[in-house]
Amino acid sequence: MKKEDTVKLISAEGFEFVVDKEAAMVSQTIHNMLTSPGSFAERQHGEVTFPEISTTILEKICQYFYWHLQFASGKETEFPIEPELTLELMMAANYLHT
Amino acid sequence: MDMYIRVKRSKTTYFIRCKASDKIIDIKQKLQELVDQPTSNQRLILPGTGEVLEDSKTLADQKVENDAVVALTLRKDDNEFEEVNIVRPNDFYQARDADGASCWHDEIHNGSGNISPND
Repeated sequence: MKKEDTVKLISAEGFEFVVDKEAAMVSQTIHNMLTSPGSFAERQHGEVTFPEISTTILEKICQYFYWHLQFASGKETEFPIEPELTLELMMAANYLHT
Repeated sequence: MDMYIRVKRSKTTYFIRCKASDKIIDIKQKLQELVDQPTSNQRLILPGTGEVLEDSKTLADQKVENDAVVALTLRKDDNEFEEVNIVRPNDFYQARDADGASCWHDEIHNGSGNISPND
């Protein structure tokens, strides 16, 4: 895997998740950050920091990105969500347009 | 895309796309550029059992499934491999986290003291 094909997503607590750009772009917000012309610093460094998203939620979101790609390629499984994560996950999903 | 695994070391998680038929060496080659270490300096370990994954075997051989967590350790200066070190977020979900967190609680060396809760 090439570094330029990945993006590093950083949680509120400073934990890092290195994911394929293709996966991260399941999020319309990240898609815009990485593709819009001009000077999103995120685009140059391949890093996006989410000071308002906790590590547990961000990991769940990354798992969702990959689940989404698997589902799109015909592997229809359920995506498990623990009830206690629901509210925070919805707020993050809303922000990320996911 | 067939599957992915989560390769963890310290506070970093690498999501690696792979196939069940991929050999461990293939996974290390994917990691090579991301971690800036040649495959010979990487060791992949199942955090639950401490089993070291062998280069010549496939993921399927060693029962590594989709969404599995695998620990990465790197060779240190003295030529030995470091201990498994996966730092987990210190928040209130921890106890109920779904991916078998309790398996490696005792391998956490640091982090829990210096990460503030996120509320």
